[in-house]
Amino acid sequence: MDLGLAGKKAILVGAARGIGYSVAEVLAREGCDIALTARSEDSVKDAVASLSKYGTKVVGKPVNAKQPEAYKEWIDWAIEELDGVDILVPFTSAGGGMGSEKYWYNAFETDVMAVVRAVEGVIEKMTEQQRGSIVLLGTTSTGEAMGGPQPYNAMKASLITWGKQLALWHGKNGIRVNVVSPGPIEFEGGNWDMIKGTMEKFYASQLRQQPSGRLGRPEEVAKAIAFLASDAASWCNGSHLVVDGGFTNRTHF
Amino acid sequence: MNDHVMGWDAGAMDVRRVVHPYRVDPESVGNGTPTEKAPDPQLGTEMIPAARYYSPDYMKLEWERVWTKVWLLGGRSDDMPEPGDYICTDIGKESVLIVRQADGSIRAFPNVCLHRGNRLRPEGRGNAEKFQCMYHHWTYGLDGKLDHIPDLCTFLQGGPKDMALTALPCTEWNSFVWFSLDQDVEPFEEFIDPLKRHLEPYHPERMAWMRDITVEWDCNWKTSVDAFNETYHVQGIHPQLKWYLDDVNVQIDCYGKHSRYLIPFAAISPRVAMPSQIPPAIHEIMVHAGMDPAEYEGRVSDIRRDVQLFKREHGASQGKDYSELNDEQLTDDYHYTIFPNVSVNVHADDVMLFRQRPHASDPNKMLYDIWMFGLVPEGEEWPERVRHQHFRHGDKTIGQVLDQDAFNLPTVQTGMKSDYFPGLWIGDQELRIRHFHKVMDDYIYGPGEKGPDDL
Ligand code: FES
Ligand SMILES: [Fe+2]
Repeated sequence: MDLGLAGKKAILVGAARGIGYSVAEVLAREGCDIALTARSEDSVKDAVASLSKYGTKVVGKPVNAKQPEAYKEWIDWAIEELDGVDILVPFTSAGGGMGSEKYWYNAFETDVMAVVRAVEGVIEKMTEQQRGSIVLLGTTSTGEAMGGPQPYNAMKASLITWGKQLALWHGKNGIRVNVVSPGPIEFEGGNWDMIKGTMEKFYASQLRQQPSGRLGRPEEVAKAIAFLASDAASWCNGSHLVVDGGFTNRTHF
Repeated sequence: MNDHVMGWDAGAMDVRRVVHPYRVDPESVGNGTPTEKAPDPQLGTEMIPAARYYSPDYMKLEWERVWTKVWLLGGRSDDMPEPGDYICTDIGKESVLIVRQADGSIRAFPNVCLHRGNRLRPEGRGNAEKFQCMYHHWTYGLDGKLDHIPDLCTFLQGGPKDMALTALPCTEWNSFVWFSLDQDVEPFEEFIDPLKRHLEPYHPERMAWMRDITVEWDCNWKTSVDAFNETYHVQGIHPQLKWYLDDVNVQIDCYGKHSRYLIPFAAISPRVAMPSQIPPAIHEIMVHAGMDPAEYEGRVSDIRRDVQLFKREHGASQGKDYSELNDEQLTDDYHYTIFPNVSVNVHADDVMLFRQRPHASDPNKMLYDIWMFGLVPEGEEWPERVRHQHFRHGDKTIGQVLDQDAFNLPTVQTGMKSDYFPGLWIGDQELRIRHFHKVMDDYIYGPGEKGPDDL
């Protein structure tokens, strides 16, 4: 099956590591040009350098997604560098945290507003092109309790709702919006890597909850995202795909 | 590339990242704790004989030439503020009474009645006007003088010589009391040198008891000392600490009898990838410093330095006087081994001290004392003295990290007795172990006198 990704232009926010980087890699391998960002200059440089081996155009610049103006400038720059935008996947997240009200603001700024601003930054261009595919990142923690009552889960849930609204609203302009919710994904330097090292028992309990006895790998989510981002998923719009290796119990009727 | 502080090739070690932690300029520390790397002693690469850890002969040599010759840590000064307050502490087959005198000084005596050898007091703390032996009521003053022998007229030989308990050398330093079983012991100042300048800036007298625990461990006391003398075992025994401290970029300094290492805390081990989220244990360090981790905008790799700067700025307003400490000391673990048996982690806000005592007769057993003290911020009430607990290994938890050490040590002790284990194969990350054994050699065989056939 040809995904029809060759020659597509993808903007990836927060893509220097983990699932984000893995998506960049899958897309580059499929022939996409890529503009990516993250907060740290070094990690953006490293990511751009290692993605260049796939022979497509890969550009990157660090930006703090919590600074709306600089962030908007970055998106404009990315669209200009790529000369258009077919795919947007924003990965920004403040991660978990409990016990301080500030975590709500962090999650709102990073998990929600940084995504909202990215979408709003590309929607005009996509409308003009009458073509575009946006994939938002949820989490299985929206549908099943995990890690205690924290803003991360609740704020991520809002993206699933908002993603559906976007899909319905912009569908007439050839823009598709879908949401992918990964379960626990382990990679070096990721949270589950740290949990494995610091909370052995909890980690083991999570493994037991996975039918396959292991956690997911970034590329296993990245391929699902790449599919939804591609023309091969032309009839997927407003869908929410849980990619968790069977981690969650819930049946989606 | 010899870019490790110890001169090793940091990139050739089993690490994911080469890290160069922030270090203060040694010139900048003034009269405070020196940070300069001490020149490494040339101690060779020879095996350390395993039998030292279980041989009764070696244990006997240790008793005769180490335990009865050195200064030993007895307790805390603030446990004996008033005249008549005393600390009774055991070491091997001996027990010692350290007593506050009417003039505020302290004196120390063997805790044994001159009549028929009864112990005068059980181990622990207390207050007494006099020490009356329970057996036949021989009675001693706070100064150790034998004030009364019931029916003295029935002792044809009179009372024992000098009518007094033997006076043992004792002193107070840095809020702790010290004693020696050797009446001719070198002056304490010479013994402790150069650690006064190292440890006084921490002002342990501003800290209060947080934990006072004695655990019976099934290993030789040196098996325990060794475990606290290297960070090489973090990867094996304490994997979770890799998201708490830098076990690789450790500066080791050997000084005469004593040694130390400096471990960056609030740091990520170069053995693992840098996480993007703040690890729980580092989160706790930030909260303890008064920071709100939720507000933190920096990278995880910046936290150690930012905690230092935060404490420097806000310490005074929290009633914590860090003025004599350098920035590293505000986060890091400065860990000292005071020969022979004190391993002490000193931090700006607490002291975690381990006193390792030999068993009276069995080289395969020891007593592990955990003494923890926490800084009491100015203006806050001095907390009540915690109760002393004593139990056998495994009966209760002593906290995750120490449990990990504790569960491993008996395995080391039994393993070392194998016919197929001639001795310890020591690397330079374990330089302090080698140094410690060299000091043992010098005490036991005389400086540089250890022969090739000696244990
Ligand atoms: S043994 Fe102490 S009075 Fe007899
Ligand atoms: Fe340990």
